[in-house]
Amino acid sequence: MKRSTLFPMIVTVVICIAPLLVAAAKVGRAAPDFTATASNGKTFRLGDYRGKYVVLEWHNNGCPYVGKHYKSGNMQRLQKEWTGRNVVWFTILSSAPGEQGYVTASEENAYLAKMQAAPTAALLDPNGEIGHLYDAKTSPQMVVINPEDIVIYDGAIDDKPTTDLSDIAGATNYVSLALEQAMTGKQVGMPSTRPYGCSVKYSDSTH
Amino acid sequence: MTGSDSNRRISLALTFEGALLLCAAGAQGAEAPIPHGKLELVAESQWVTPGRGFSLGLHFQLEKGWHIYWLNPGDSGEPPRVTWHLPPGLTLGALEWPAPRRLGKSSIVDFGYEDAVTLIVPVHAESNLAAQPLASLGAEIKVLVCREVCIPGKTQLSLTLPIKSQPPPPDVRTREWFAAARKDLPRPAPQNWEFSVDDAKDSFVLAANLGAQITQATFFPVAEAQIDNSAPQVLLPRPSGFRLTLRKSDRLLKPIERLKGVVVLPGNRAYFIDAPVNKRDARNNKSNGGIQETQSSKEGPRK
Repeated sequence: MKRSTLFPMIVTVVICIAPLLVAAAKVGRAAPDFTATASNGKTFRLGDYRGKYVVLEWHNNGCPYVGKHYKSGNMQRLQKEWTGRNVVWFTILSSAPGEQGYVTASEENAYLAKMQAAPTAALLDPNGEIGHLYDAKTSPQMVVINPEDIVIYDGAIDDKPTTDLSDIAGATNYVSLALEQAMTGKQVGMPSTRPYGCSVKYSDSTH
Repeated sequence: MTGSDSNRRISLALTFEGALLLCAAGAQGAEAPIPHGKLELVAESQWVTPGRGFSLGLHFQLEKGWHIYWLNPGDSGEPPRVTWHLPPGLTLGALEWPAPRRLGKSSIVDFGYEDAVTLIVPVHAESNLAAQPLASLGAEIKVLVCREVCIPGKTQLSLTLPIKSQPPPPDVRTREWFAAARKDLPRPAPQNWEFSVDDAKDSFVLAANLGAQITQATFFPVAEAQIDNSAPQVLLPRPSGFRLTLRKSDRLLKPIERLKGVVVLPGNRAYFIDAPVNKRDARNNKSNGGIQETQSSKEGPRK
């Protein structure tokens, strides 16, 4: 639609902002670009999805907070709903080898099949590079990036920071809220929340 | 794992039997396993006296290396949550949390407790409580226990206390737990102490005027997402106190009016802080970035 006129402007803005990015992503700023290998063997680069909304989901299959959203089917439902609405959904695995949640590509593929998960791709980040780029603290931490490549949401998946499956029904889902608001031209009401969950299991050597 | 579980079951059974024997004499204790530890619901005194206050305690004992969380858990985790079931005539106060520790040294820092901790709950017994011989108190507790990994636990405990009109003696067994917890409870700062907070762009600078130089202080924010939990807290000793630089959280998108939390000074002395945040004003911004100027102006004599 308006993208053709906006695009050169966006490129300019991104080029100007990029050198200012010290490390971590921040709401309202450009999303740091990354390239990663997915469990399906394909390579994905965030920058290739400019023009689309992108969701980043930090994942650790042993974390009870992640378990809450997968055992209930909540995460899979969100993945199906939003990828069905042309949103790109990257599940990101930043656990270091030997830490909880670290999986090989084939183990992750088996998990995705078993859980009937439906992200666009599950990105393997065993060195924690994407995790640190986005200063991801927990699983399931969630980030939403708009088509202009700006981080519009960073934080918890919803407003119930518990491991209880029964809390999902009455929860306000911040990811859906941010996407709905942004897609209807509204301001994202809650752009940043505390991302509840288990700490991301980075290797100690990276610090 | 299985062995320790069955041991726990046996010790639990013994506790119940022992408690039944003790029932006529005093408090009936309750303990239950939680992941990598155990939890007891205890009373500080042997019975309830109508018209008087007393304290209940949730005493957590954890295996080495495991921890639970403070009311603000920090970057990850979740504080214990309690639902109480009390008979009419007993009124609960707010849960009292001993000062926590910083847990973790990397980019993720949490606030919590290792080894053992007692969370205290003050209870008031109304003077018309005498209608029943025993008071039965129940609690449902959800607790997240973590080391590198986290395990949620859920348990129910109940405690039966006699109701007697004479003042109760302390429970000898639990006295030390309450004493240890009280020692670590944050207290109100002395009247002549002054705390102020300056908004210094990427940081808050907490200035404390306590009448003596302080070389070590750790701040724990009550609210989430105000300060960067993992950032080192930089302390500058001052002749009359200290100045502590707290990096702001990236999640703090709006200015805050007050900074609330707990500051822990040498000797594990913990104090509540609720200080107004002085906004950076145009004058200070113009002079030299605002930081030094704003700080030094706060050191001056009071108006």
